[in-house]
Amino acid sequence: MKPYLSIFKLRLRLETQYRGAVLGGLICQMFFGLILIAVYRALYASKPQAIPFANVATYVWFQQAFFRMLLSTDDDLMEKIKTGGIAYDLCRPLHLYSFYYFRILAMKLMGSLLRAVPMLLIALLLPEGWGMSLPASPAAFLASIVSLLLGAACVTASENITMAATMRTLDPRGFRTIFNVLLMLLTGNILPLTLYPDSWQPVLRLLPYAQMLDAPARLYTGEYPLAEVPGIFLLQIAWIIALVALGCFLWNQNQKRLVLQGG
Amino acid sequence: MSFIQVEDLKKQFIVRKKREKGSLFREKEIREALRGVSFEIERGELVGYIGPNGAGKSTTVKILSGILTPDGGKALVGGQVPWKNRRDYVQHIGVVFGQRMQLWWDVPILDSYNLLKDIYRIPEDRYKSRLSELTDALGLGELLRTPLRQLSLGQRMRAELCGSLLHQPDILFLDEPTIGLDAVSKLDLRDFLLWENREHKTTILLTTHDMEDIAALCQRVMVLGHGSKLYDGNLADLLARFDKTRTVEISYDDPAAALKLPPTVQVEKNGDGFRLSYKPEEFPTAKLLSLLQMAGPIREMTVQPQNIDHLIAAMYEEMDL
Repeated sequence: MKPYLSIFKLRLRLETQYRGAVLGGLICQMFFGLILIAVYRALYASKPQAIPFANVATYVWFQQAFFRMLLSTDDDLMEKIKTGGIAYDLCRPLHLYSFYYFRILAMKLMGSLLRAVPMLLIALLLPEGWGMSLPASPAAFLASIVSLLLGAACVTASENITMAATMRTLDPRGFRTIFNVLLMLLTGNILPLTLYPDSWQPVLRLLPYAQMLDAPARLYTGEYPLAEVPGIFLLQIAWIIALVALGCFLWNQNQKRLVLQGG
Repeated sequence: MSFIQVEDLKKQFIVRKKREKGSLFREKEIREALRGVSFEIERGELVGYIGPNGAGKSTTVKILSGILTPDGGKALVGGQVPWKNRRDYVQHIGVVFGQRMQLWWDVPILDSYNLLKDIYRIPEDRYKSRLSELTDALGLGELLRTPLRQLSLGQRMRAELCGSLLHQPDILFLDEPTIGLDAVSKLDLRDFLLWENREHKTTILLTTHDMEDIAALCQRVMVLGHGSKLYDGNLADLLARFDKTRTVEISYDDPAAALKLPPTVQVEKNGDGFRLSYKPEEFPTAKLLSLLQMAGPIREMTVQPQNIDHLIAAMYEEMDL
């Protein structure tokens, strides 16, 4: 475990160095949050939905606060793959998949934590109708934190699949664009999944995307009752296992057919 | 049994060409990077591996460091096949790719070393003594707390080298380690490599385009061209085969002095004086000297053997590379 813990710690520390980026992200995400809430206020003003508006606002803030966890790539790693700097990692006594997994996980956790804590505090202080509500109950709060960690594990696994694919195409753009559009739509980042038609819900909530931020957000607001917690955790874990297995398989394939470009 | 044994190593790459007009698919072209290379290297040897760009040097290094799988042939390094049991094998080797970076850009180099310590699972006490030994030898002591991005290219290469040797590998592969370095940095790096080779009997295989590197470091040199080994042996013997031309720079007190020389000697006007090149076997040096003295009082004169790069260029030309 030592190498993996070591890269995790190094990457955590590295992420705290980019304070300017944290401030920039904070302002940007606040702005997005306010715009989205304004849009949904207008929607509710013309046609109220079944979900209480306070939940929608909370959901939006939750998504914005952890945006960095969802949509951020390890650009250094991407660059290493493109330029062949990865040659060094290939001649180390490492399980590459795990090494990169912990590297990405650390970046996502620290990156989003640094932004989320101040942002959620601000969002809690905003006036009613704009701001975030308190969690449904202390137990719901705890459940949503556990679920959030599982969500981070899930996002990291899917990110590592993108990395493995980049090893093949050497250009992440095409793959990442499709992936990101799906991510924005199906994680509930643009439109909360709670506002999608009821008939879509059974499918939407089973997809891997819903395990990332939607499940923790719904646990927080209490839309998922506490009785459902074990089922939700199980579903999240199942997806983590599936995505990790796929990622491991792709990385192993990569290592078998390795051709490093250039002298 | 030799420490490194390579037999009939082959590797092909498929290169996709640009699509021709009117055809639907791109044509594939097979490029043979290695066409059956064999050699043996003993423990503690320091071997230079040269050849023009695209000769297959880096491919050999990548195969021997377990990154690439060959299409044919055998290789044994310290009794292990590099591309099998990769994780166990790489524990014993160190690699420096001169054009790539292994250390982290934004963190102090010590942090990168600590990560490498954990990656190679080096015991704490061994790590400490090895690190202090290497930082002394490479003059890195004061730079350990500096982020890599603030180091000069020469410092960076020394730092990279230290990173590749922390786990005390039995063999070190160096792929163009002196590329882009200034004269002082190059000399330091060479001194260090000789030191490491002497102190720890580390076997070193070095690819480079810098012939001075080879001359300073390696008793033995292998020449690779078009994926085949063309020469393997002593550097001096190799040079003797191509070192046939001498250059003389000469100037006279009287700038108008006229030289009368046979056509086998090439004459070029060079500032106030002349630059002559000739082959001693065609035109004896003694004869040339007497002719030069007849032209008038000589102010200054130097005789130089041919520049080592020119020799290699002549060699590549003769071997049709």
